[in-house]
Amino acid sequence: MKRLAFILSRLAQTLLVLLVVATILFLIFRLMPGNPLVAYLDPTFTEEMARSLRRQFGLDKPLTTQYLVFLRNTLRGEFGNSFFTREPVSQVIWNVLPNTLALTLAALLLAYAVGIAGGALLAARRGTRVEHWGIPAVLATRAAPEFWVGMLALAVFSFSLDWFPFGGATSPGSIYPSIWAQLFSLDFLHHMALPALTLALYLQGLPTLLMRNSMLEVMDEDFITFCRMRGLPERTIILRHAARNALLPVVTAFALGIGYSIGGNVIIETVFSWPGLGRTLVRAVAAKDYPVAQAAFLMIAVVMIGMNFVADLLYGVLDPRVSDERR
Amino acid sequence: MARGWLRIAVVTLILALALGAVATGQSPDRRVRELILLTRPQAVDPREFETARFLAPEFEKLGVKVTVRVMPWEQMADLVWYSRDKWDMTMWQMVGRPERSDPDEFAMNLFHSSTAANGYNFVGYRNRTYDNIAEAQRIKTDLKTRQQLIREAQKIIARDAPYIFLVFPESTYVYNNTVWDAKTVVEQKGIGIKNFWTFVQAKPLGSQQDMVLNYPDPLQAINPLFISGAADSWVTELIWDRLFRVGPDGLPRPWAAEKADWVDSVTLDVTLRRGMKWHDGRPVTVDDVIFSYTAPMGDEVPMYRPFVRNIERIEKRSDTVIRFVLRDPYAPFLIASLAKLNIIPKHIWEPILADLARKPENAESYQEQVPIGSGPFKFVQWKKPEEVVLEAVPDHFSAPKMRRWILRIIPNVEAALGGLRQGQINFLSGYTGDPQILDRLVKENRQLTLVSTMDVGMRFLAFNLRRPPFDDVAFRQALNMATNKRAIRSVVWKGFASIADSFVSPALEFWYNPELPRWEYNIQAARDQLAKAGYSWDREGRLLYPAGKTETLK
Repeated sequence: MKRLAFILSRLAQTLLVLLVVATILFLIFRLMPGNPLVAYLDPTFTEEMARSLRRQFGLDKPLTTQYLVFLRNTLRGEFGNSFFTREPVSQVIWNVLPNTLALTLAALLLAYAVGIAGGALLAARRGTRVEHWGIPAVLATRAAPEFWVGMLALAVFSFSLDWFPFGGATSPGSIYPSIWAQLFSLDFLHHMALPALTLALYLQGLPTLLMRNSMLEVMDEDFITFCRMRGLPERTIILRHAARNALLPVVTAFALGIGYSIGGNVIIETVFSWPGLGRTLVRAVAAKDYPVAQAAFLMIAVVMIGMNFVADLLYGVLDPRVSDERR
Repeated sequence: MARGWLRIAVVTLILALALGAVATGQSPDRRVRELILLTRPQAVDPREFETARFLAPEFEKLGVKVTVRVMPWEQMADLVWYSRDKWDMTMWQMVGRPERSDPDEFAMNLFHSSTAANGYNFVGYRNRTYDNIAEAQRIKTDLKTRQQLIREAQKIIARDAPYIFLVFPESTYVYNNTVWDAKTVVEQKGIGIKNFWTFVQAKPLGSQQDMVLNYPDPLQAINPLFISGAADSWVTELIWDRLFRVGPDGLPRPWAAEKADWVDSVTLDVTLRRGMKWHDGRPVTVDDVIFSYTAPMGDEVPMYRPFVRNIERIEKRSDTVIRFVLRDPYAPFLIASLAKLNIIPKHIWEPILADLARKPENAESYQEQVPIGSGPFKFVQWKKPEEVVLEAVPDHFSAPKMRRWILRIIPNVEAALGGLRQGQINFLSGYTGDPQILDRLVKENRQLTLVSTMDVGMRFLAFNLRRPPFDDVAFRQALNMATNKRAIRSVVWKGFASIADSFVSPALEFWYNPELPRWEYNIQAARDQLAKAGYSWDREGRLLYPAGKTETLK
């Protein structure tokens, strides 16, 4: 019963936060200097056209009316049409979301798989050569600018060795019957390899170091000493007992990582000409495409806040000490 | 005690204010205020930004304080366009388009006083003599007379200096000469080799039959009734036919029309080519053509309305002949209207427009799933953020030699260069970077050919003539003389541009006036000019308005 109350109160908080986010999003784009109509300026542009555009975009109404319309439509899940391409916002986002999710989730999984193993290894080999070389290597890849690593990867693996295409998500002129057929095609994976590896290289720093630190803490705890006293092999201690317990903060970071990844990665997308949400978003903000920008940021906020919520719940499941009962 | 202090503070404050008023009430009142020069950010347009940064200290040599203010395009254009009395100077550009091969669009829309209030004459230039000439060149169908008028118009603008014309940039494109037969790549005057004629005529040499091009930004729409982004028009030009096209020489040439004959100065008989077909197999008829020109007269196609406004009526004379009757004689009609409007299938668009008439949206918001035209290429697919694929129509009257035309969206320009070298791209059509890098790349790679063409588009600095000191022609001329165009050409544009002194590009030899007053770079002459017009300088060297004129804008 108490658990349900906890979940419900968290849910109510979440909704309140979302309302605030939606309001800020609505205001921030309208208060920013600039005007969506300037995309149409041309020697033959007339005042009549400007009026017609303003009416179509709903910008001729007072701000309060626009806000109420926005709230009502958002609740109904309608985000209107893009000012730029004139198609429904959901379509604009759907055009790129599968590409973004495929790329970021693949990179994230790879980074966390490598990071967790690497972090555990670094902790287990504390004070050895592995640590001496490992930590600077992890820090360097984490700190290296993505665009630089990306261009380097392109120069080597695409332009010199010709192993991978230099950009895009599919080969020129390739036609797929559906988005799913495209996502699971070899061509798509071939195109995704370089950007996913570059992104993974950047992302792995966090799970590696987090895992290592957390492992080191756990390794100092009494139950590990008990394990040793029981004469368990070191391998079993590290994998079965220490690593499992050390995973907790890494899981949270992973959940949040998914939240972040939904927004795409502008730099990776630009370097590899990847058709993703990040670039779409930047474009929408720059071109004052209010409907697309609002909807995309709101979607990101929903996922982020949602993943936070999930991380909270997961904590309770993974570590009974963090149960909701005590709150 | 506290009250005493307060009294002293108040008295001091009042005294200070009064003294300040007296101090500013003297000579600084004649002092020309700090002038603001607007430009887009370096990241967006490095050359524009560099030019602004280069010009400001030059202008300061005349004794004015100039601040460069960087703004994103959306904000800058909003200010210039919708707050017409709130800015001083701005960097600006006009891009080259085939229909701009006729000087009418610039001559009329940029400087005619009717567009000063809310059209493209955002500088607020008003000159009755100029207006008359700009109007007259429209109605004189005699080419020689029109040429005289256009040249006269250029002279007036050069003298009145509402802009500082800077350069006509060169359009630089590169293609792979092992894929495309160099003899079939067409260079269009004022446009370059990326043009309709190249796309239709380029002949593949080997097994690579697809032209793969690049562009940094996604397309906005593929819609024959919507004038949207630049690359969008490359696609619409290929899918939809037009009665005329702007030829490689910049002059109108019959396309879907077999011929066009002027019956009198307002009546034009156009004969439609026989045997044309829509991509869905139906024949193209005179009714389709008439529909294409009547549709923009309604409310659903606002962007094309200006191009049909002068048409009084359209008559069907026979199964192949259409008669256009104009309200007023209009010399550029062939380029400005017949080479501009897309011919659209009536059987598809009539029901769509009828449906849109009942909705708040208009034809611009309508995106066909599979656009149907009658042009030399037909639509295959549009993966919005990634590519557009078109396919040659083999039975078109001007069937392309290539198999497919593929435009890839590549925001990373450096990667596009790599792809070009390696062959994943075989026509570099969207390069915005340093032309010298391109030059080097081509020198190192023999399979690449670079073609650089002077553009009809131009870069300039615009003054706001509504605000002093820019209302004074002497001041504007002085700033023109303080502009070192030669240095801008060689330093900022690395030589890939021609110096501009007119709104007509020298690429359009027929229209360009070679005998214009040129403002040679000479700071001393500029200062003398200001002195002659009554300006003087205070002890700090700051420019003062002529006697009797004071600074009203602070």
